[in-house]
Amino acid sequence: MTYEVVNSKVVRVQVSQANPVLARRGAMLGYSGQVAFRPVSGAAQGIGGMVGTMMAGESNKMMVAEGQGSVLYGFRGLYVTVIDLTGDSLVVEADRLLAHDANLQTGVEMVGQGGGRSAVRGAMTGQGLFTTRVSGNGTVSVLSHGGTFPIQLNGETVGVDPQAYVAHTGALQVDLKASVGMRDLIGRGSGEAFQLHVSGHGTVYVQASEEKF
Amino acid sequence: MIDGIETPTWDASSLPADDNVNPYAFSIALAGEWFVSKGAMIAYYGNVEFAGVSQYASRASWVAARFSSPLYASEWVVAAGQGKVIVADRGYDVNSYDLDEGNLTIKQTNLLGFQTSLELKQSIVPGFVTLIGTGKFLASSNGPVIFVEPPFRADPDALLGWADCPSPSQHYDHHWMAQSFMAGIQGMFGRESGEERQYDFTGAGTVLMQSSEQLRVDGALMKLVESQTNLLDAQSAGALGHRLVQRSQQQ
Repeated sequence: MTYEVVNSKVVRVQVSQANPVLARRGAMLGYSGQVAFRPVSGAAQGIGGMVGTMMAGESNKMMVAEGQGSVLYGFRGLYVTVIDLTGDSLVVEADRLLAHDANLQTGVEMVGQGGGRSAVRGAMTGQGLFTTRVSGNGTVSVLSHGGTFPIQLNGETVGVDPQAYVAHTGALQVDLKASVGMRDLIGRGSGEAFQLHVSGHGTVYVQASEEKF
Repeated sequence: MIDGIETPTWDASSLPADDNVNPYAFSIALAGEWFVSKGAMIAYYGNVEFAGVSQYASRASWVAARFSSPLYASEWVVAAGQGKVIVADRGYDVNSYDLDEGNLTIKQTNLLGFQTSLELKQSIVPGFVTLIGTGKFLASSNGPVIFVEPPFRADPDALLGWADCPSPSQHYDHHWMAQSFMAGIQGMFGRESGEERQYDFTGAGTVLMQSSEQLRVDGALMKLVESQTNLLDAQSAGALGHRLVQRSQQQ
């Protein structure tokens, strides 16, 4: 196990020659051993799939940790959830990625790609216009405000507050449903006019807060 | 009586003595004096008087010997009397530590209180203070404290303190620097994230870490940096002033 949960806010990752780790810039708390950090830029060569991540761009600068040692990752006291991927994929807002194995493939779903729906989803969750798809075999750690809890879905549908949505794995369909009534238009609505309706087979991760970051 | 509340309702006698009330608050059983960080006290029982450190020092001459940091004197108070004092900080985890003939250096903004048997001095590292002697002190951290052993390199924002090991030196990651220089747009490469600069710990001891926090304004830090500018000659000080004015205009 290369990802050790130190506490609810910090994760310790074993870095080796065979297993470099990509992480959000500024998220390294400390390390021991011979580890070198390198900022990764859009034109960077090497580590597969990274280019896609970098296209997410300005708001999501990453760096790669290479060498041999263990690194502590955490970010501004936000809670950390560790998710193992075995061939399936995780869809997450790019801002929330704390660290993941560099050999995972990352792709960005942007405006106009994958239909307008994913763009709207990104916009509505307040995390920018990008959602990132991470896939392959490896481990991902994801940031949240107040911790996450998983909701298992086996064909049913669950409604999630867009601000509380963190990520999902599996074959899930995510739709943004608006129920804007007259009261919302005049600003006296319940504040829950938009909901994400998640259906299918998989797991959706929800944070215990509506706070954005 | 209010229904539906399952946590116990505390009173002066049932509050813990020198123990945590919950992870985020600590109850000091006061019988004498404690040094307490200004603003850390959230409630108290009993006959307790809070006086500024310099004010109290005019009455009790031992204070000056224990609190040898005029810089932070305005950030601290002396709690004197009998009773229970509850301290907390921004909902952070609060822990008590016992120091036994030891020395420990900790970030000033995370130190909440200490017994008067300990002696406080300013560390050479700006924003940190050192406690020397035997006694109990309280410190807050963003999430539980993580203890690691040197050799270890720590991000300055995530470093809470260190005990029994030599003061850190600064380590610059040459990979990071090389990338930045080659790109020639150093500023863009997250210099502000500080990833290329770490505190390097060697020797025997313990390093205390927390999840990185957003910096709380340390009022004394400005005075500290300002006093360091005495090292500069008039011309360099002027040049520094120019740069600082530029920076404040950019933001």
